[in-house]
Amino acid sequence: MSAGIVLQAKGLTKEFRGFKAVDDVDLSVERGSIHALIGPNGAGKTTCFNLLTRFLPLTRGSILFNGRDISALSAAHVARLGLVRSFQISSTFPQLSCIENVAIALQARGGNSFNFWSSERRLDGDLPRARELVDMVGLGAFADVAAGDLPYGRKRALEIATTLALEPEVMLLDEPMAGMAHGDIDQIVALIQKIRVGRTILMVEHNLHVVAELSDRITVLTRGQVLVEGSYQEISRHPAVIEAYMGGVDA
Amino acid sequence: MATLFGIPLAALSGQLLLGLINGAFYAILSLGLALIFGMLNIINFAHGAQFMMGAFVAWLSLTYLGLGYWWALLLAPLVVGIVGIIIERTMLCRLYKLDHLYGLLFTFGISLLIEGFFRQLYGVSGMPYAVPEILTGGLDLGILYAPIYRLWVVAASVVVCIGVWLAVDKTRLGAYLRAATENPTLVRTFGINVPVLITLTYGIGVALAGFAGVLAAPIYSVNPLMGSNLIIVVFAVVVIGGMGSILGSVVTGFGLGILEGLTKVIYPEASSTVIFLVMAFVLLVKPAGLFGKETGGAAQADNGHARSERGNLKTLGIPLAVLLAVFAVAPFAVYPIFLMKALCFAMFACAFNLMIGYGGLLSFGHAAFFGMASYISAYTAKQWGFNPELSILAAALVSGGLGAAIGGLAIRRQGIYFSMITLALAQMVYFFCLQAPFTNGEDGIQSVPRGHLFGLIDLSSDMTMYYFVLAMFALVYLAIVRIVHSPFGRVLSAVKGNEPRAVSLGYEANRYKFMLFVFSATLAGVAGATKALALQLASLTDVFWSMSGEVVLMSLIGGLGTLLGPVVGAFFITGLQNYLAQFGAWVTIIQGLVFIICVLVFRRGIVGEIQGWSSDLMKRSGKLNAGASHGESKLSTPPA
Repeated sequence: MSAGIVLQAKGLTKEFRGFKAVDDVDLSVERGSIHALIGPNGAGKTTCFNLLTRFLPLTRGSILFNGRDISALSAAHVARLGLVRSFQISSTFPQLSCIENVAIALQARGGNSFNFWSSERRLDGDLPRARELVDMVGLGAFADVAAGDLPYGRKRALEIATTLALEPEVMLLDEPMAGMAHGDIDQIVALIQKIRVGRTILMVEHNLHVVAELSDRITVLTRGQVLVEGSYQEISRHPAVIEAYMGGVDA
Repeated sequence: MATLFGIPLAALSGQLLLGLINGAFYAILSLGLALIFGMLNIINFAHGAQFMMGAFVAWLSLTYLGLGYWWALLLAPLVVGIVGIIIERTMLCRLYKLDHLYGLLFTFGISLLIEGFFRQLYGVSGMPYAVPEILTGGLDLGILYAPIYRLWVVAASVVVCIGVWLAVDKTRLGAYLRAATENPTLVRTFGINVPVLITLTYGIGVALAGFAGVLAAPIYSVNPLMGSNLIIVVFAVVVIGGMGSILGSVVTGFGLGILEGLTKVIYPEASSTVIFLVMAFVLLVKPAGLFGKETGGAAQADNGHARSERGNLKTLGIPLAVLLAVFAVAPFAVYPIFLMKALCFAMFACAFNLMIGYGGLLSFGHAAFFGMASYISAYTAKQWGFNPELSILAAALVSGGLGAAIGGLAIRRQGIYFSMITLALAQMVYFFCLQAPFTNGEDGIQSVPRGHLFGLIDLSSDMTMYYFVLAMFALVYLAIVRIVHSPFGRVLSAVKGNEPRAVSLGYEANRYKFMLFVFSATLAGVAGATKALALQLASLTDVFWSMSGEVVLMSLIGGLGTLLGPVVGAFFITGLQNYLAQFGAWVTIIQGLVFIICVLVFRRGIVGEIQGWSSDLMKRSGKLNAGASHGESKLSTPPA
């Protein structure tokens, strides 16, 4: 294994009752890069994400994270190792405030999570860092608002702050721009550029401008298989990609 | 005499036939449950009561209208089906957008109502119903003499099951049904009237139960309780088979009936529990059930649950102090025995509410912990002379262990399956208590000595005992407050709020649920143990499923997910029972009604409603004072 590869999937396959949603996918994510997974609807991008983060059991194949085989670990275990995902539909703890959302993630690192005998005030030490993260994603004014009451774009930002709190080595972002207005997209792009320092990002994204702007490397999936992989310049000229993906967008 | 492996062949085949008959009932009932669940996403707890209703329609139409068995086979499904349709159209249809658990609670209320109604009218002794003349007599099959009626039951149910399967699998209506099960919105856009389809499904599902009731009438005596025990076994059958396929539930039903029959021959002591044991085994090996498909993640809408009370620790001390002050003087005004009983149930309800309110887990088997603990403390206090504190500790440990066993199995499934599994496993504990010698069976353990606290303080006077119970209550209450407001409690609120997200942050959600389950079971045990000492009695009532239902009702009426709610609910229900004790089955009827009303219009419960009003008021006045606050701060009015 190359020292530069942080996450590697070999022969990744997922069958749902005979239907191959992901079919023998090989994927190598370079440390420190932003790697995008694109493809038309139903290409298996999100299923890939679910497999890589162990939210779905594999039918076949293996996943190496820093050289360690993680294909039999639990989803939570994988997260604790530093491979942390976000969800396609914004995923927050709706009844908790922004600060509390982030604090829950900070608590996961603190090793205090099974402590049922002391007061939760024991966790107050996390609050300054939580506030810092909330400020960083531009939610300072919403710090004490319940996440469920935030507008959609803000929820996405909160989700990134929560994920960041874990200091993940690899972040997997599932369509971070889905359903966002233009202004919000620019903000999230700027945010992703800010947080990429020192970590690897694998993202599923439909917005090709975003993909072009952010990604170092792109893997195109169709019908559960890798169609082509390369830089944006390379894949945007590739006839099969234009056929399978771009053509559909332009039409 | 012919034998097989040392077992007389006649006994074997006789029990096999009996097993086949039980299997026939399991099959028809689980078939109906699966149909209803597929369309309505609701577990119809009233299925057993509707089965019983079918038998009663048969008996009533014979007694008062002179209509015989064959008419009843037609009439009973019709009546039960129409009543079902009325229930669905007027009430059940309001619950589809809520958490599935409310459907379970509502239909539980319906079953109490139906059962109470027939008990009030006809008692529990049971009415004989004659086998129709044409089906009397028996066939000598060489190895056994088989009553014709029993063969008829097996044949009739096989025909009905196959008929339903064909109708669902091969007809156009069945195709609509299957499609609507998969994706109701899409089917609606095709111009198919899905609500009518839903109503029809419920009607047909419960009509099947009514039909089975008529078949059962000549075999078992017609009595109001014939359905309630059966339905728990059927739940286990459904968990074992999984509700994915119709044929699957039929095969599982017959198969388990036969297995039960076999067990009666080989090891009779286990015959009432064998199905529950199989369920436990299947949960370990193939949690989705033999024919089931796992329904992905647990990301279900949580809109119905009362939001759990958090973050107001500062104000918590005041209600507790007020509460304790009131309780401290209460025995001078109210009969202390009643107060002790209510306080014990309040502890029990608080322990139960810890799980539903803070973990989103609806256990329908908490009587197992309450009842088992009351036996343990009664036994250790009476037979081994344990001091009260020691016998309560022993009981709490035992129920904690039992909680670990039951919880470990139950958390392998989500939502309503979790509720059915806890109910079924608790029923197993009930059968254990019924048969184990140390519980004295039907008599229970009576005149339990209250003993000396720490060997010093004599608790035999009601007043002293009362203050001991009050102290135990304060202890349990504070333990719950501590757990809820601990770092662990924070994680729980995250898991309850959004389980997949909590997992993605590295929390093993099931470990937290498991721990919560064990805590809840242990505290329920403290409640049961204290009750056994206070009332000097441990009996089967404490461990029966109706006790599990009662504690659900107490928490629901007080307010799920509020700290004080279960206490209020426990006093309300205990008071109600006390007051209505002289009216017999009216207690059940009224409890059923309260369940139904709570689920339909009063989901936040007494304390939840009060908190809702006061927080609305505070928000309104806060808004007036502060002028425009941030953004569109909405007055949160959860669906009432």
